Amino acid sequence: MTKLTSQERVSRAFAHKPHDRVPRSESFWPDTITRWKKEGLMGGSREVLELLETDFHNINWLWPRPFPGDEQLVSEDAETHVVRDESGRLLRRWKHKSGTPEHLGFECDSREIWEKKYKPAFMETGLQINPAATMRAYREGRGKGRWCMLNAVESFEQTRAIIGDEVTMIAMAEDPDWVRDISQTVTDIALQNLDAAMATGITPDGLFVYGDMAFKTATFCSPQMYKDLIWPDHKRFADWAHAHRMKFIYHTDGNVNNAIDLYLEAGFDCLQPLECKAGMDIRKLCPKYGDKMAFFGNIDVMAMKDNNLAVIEHEIASKFAAGMKTNAYIYHSDHSVPPQVSWETYKAVIELVKKYGQY
Amino acid sequence: MSNLAPLNEAIKKGNRNEAKRLVTEAIAAKLPPREILDAMVAAMDEIGARFQRNEVFVPEMLIASRAMKEALAILEPTLVKAGITPEFTAVIGTVQGDLHDIGKNLVAMMWKGANFAVVDLGTNVSPEAFVKAAQEHKAKIVGLSGLLTTTMPAMKQAVEALRKAGLPGLKVMIGGAPITAEFAKEIGADGFSPDAASAVDLARKLAVA
Ligand code: B12
Repeated sequence: MTKLTSQERVSRAFAHKPHDRVPRSESFWPDTITRWKKEGLMGGSREVLELLETDFHNINWLWPRPFPGDEQLVSEDAETHVVRDESGRLLRRWKHKSGTPEHLGFECDSREIWEKKYKPAFMETGLQINPAATMRAYREGRGKGRWCMLNAVESFEQTRAIIGDEVTMIAMAEDPDWVRDISQTVTDIALQNLDAAMATGITPDGLFVYGDMAFKTATFCSPQMYKDLIWPDHKRFADWAHAHRMKFIYHTDGNVNNAIDLYLEAGFDCLQPLECKAGMDIRKLCPKYGDKMAFFGNIDVMAMKDNNLAVIEHEIASKFAAGMKTNAYIYHSDHSVPPQVSWETYKAVIELVKKYGQY
Repeated sequence: MSNLAPLNEAIKKGNRNEAKRLVTEAIAAKLPPREILDAMVAAMDEIGARFQRNEVFVPEMLIASRAMKEALAILEPTLVKAGITPEFTAVIGTVQGDLHDIGKNLVAMMWKGANFAVVDLGTNVSPEAFVKAAQEHKAKIVGLSGLLTTTMPAMKQAVEALRKAGLPGLKVMIGGAPITAEFAKEIGADGFSPDAASAVDLARKLAVA
């Protein structure tokens, strides 16, 4: 097949139609890039992505905060001050030394504080996306012929960032209306921001929404609870994307095998990054769901971390074989490349991706 | 035991007010404190087993643990009077460089629910802090949690520091997303559990070994 542009290639993959090679994308830990620079990488993650010939282009970053840019002092003593940051987290910072701040908790830990302070704050913040910058990034992506996507955080991740993991999960069991209210409110705000981006006249190809809803062995909550509390807002994102002729990609860590039917019901087009050590395996998923959903990722970083090329080659060859049968597989690690992986190894990974990804 | 069934049920359902009411009633009715405790511990064992089978999830585990904790606080003075003390002390923490704590908290809650005295050191815990706490509290078990491949070496360092301190009879258990039984062996830990329920069984086993 003649060489396609990135945009054509990824669009065909999402349409489950034949294309020239497996589309590619990748993420890295910041420490990984630092290591690779010492080992001869010229540049940063951008340059690695160029070398990989990535097909994707992110055009924005959206994580709405209740108090954007507004950090407030809560208390202080001789050594430290406690602040409430722009997300509402309570942090203790040292006055005379640097170091990670101590995380004390969340100011918003009750429904009352949410309703009186946080919900109104969210509603009043106005736009948190920069439409002009989004348009510029879009033009850059188009200039490179890449598949352009908008980015946003979904409501479960955001709820946990506002009221904390434990309060969130207890409220899911004891005060589901509160969780529904937060989820709906933050989703409304995200969609308003995305609408503002679209109002500049851009026509991106996809919407990438991230938010972890699972861990090593299962989803945090039951599929029924997910369907009841969070899923309706996930579906709103998918519907929004489709109404704008975009594909919808959902990113979650962890074992989500028990939620895939619900993702399909909501119209998700693609799942990423398919964490291997949490039991996600496209060799099993593709035969079952490969005609209905594209899979993005699933190359095990645990196979990369020992820098053993034979192990990595087996991983890539076997996963690519399963993914390519569906015409809807995209390369990415199963989360992000950790700093145990050497630059030498990653360059070999790129070559293997090129070798095995040819249709 | 049958009159303690509603208490057991209230804990499993995470109904903390009901659990507190029922434990107060059981104490007032002068039921043997050991029986009351056993009924409560059995509830947490069952919740842990259901979690292991993906029949209940984190929210249900959290509310059950909270009901257990609050009911246990009411029972505690009665237990002390009857000379029933926690089986042993376990120290737990997330290793240095790692801030993940949801799994560690669940293990700590299940251990408390199993009537172990638990000292929770929080996250980002240095090897020295594990040693100090183990010495201070005469711990039988130290649990190390780690969720990052990059903090697995910190886990190894903590195990080494604990071994070097030469605490007699101390057993070290590890767990977290990237951890495997082979890794536990490799770094000289005494055991690994994939989830909070088996962490209870393993701690019980190691403590008497
Ligand atoms: C939630 C989460 C976060 C939250 C943590 C919030 C919190 N308060 O803990 C936040 C957003 C802060 C976060 C940050 C980061 N995270 Co994170 N995170 C996760 C996620 C999605 C779930 C972890 C979780 O809460 N699980 C729920 C509990 C119930 O499960 P559990 O921890 O496994 O615990 C059970 C068992 O393991 C066991 N257990 C646990 N501890 C112990 C201890 C003992 C003694 C025993 C016996 C048993 C035991 O029992 C528990 C209950 O059954 C995982 C994905 C995953 N697969 O786990 C990634 C994950 C752990 N994170 C990851 C990464 C990369 C990071 C970051 C570096 C970057 C990032 N993504 O932001 C930072 C690092 C911050 C730091 N320095 O620690 C990677 C690590 C990959 C790797 N190669 O190491 C993971 C695996 C995601 C992935 N797909 O690759 N993360």
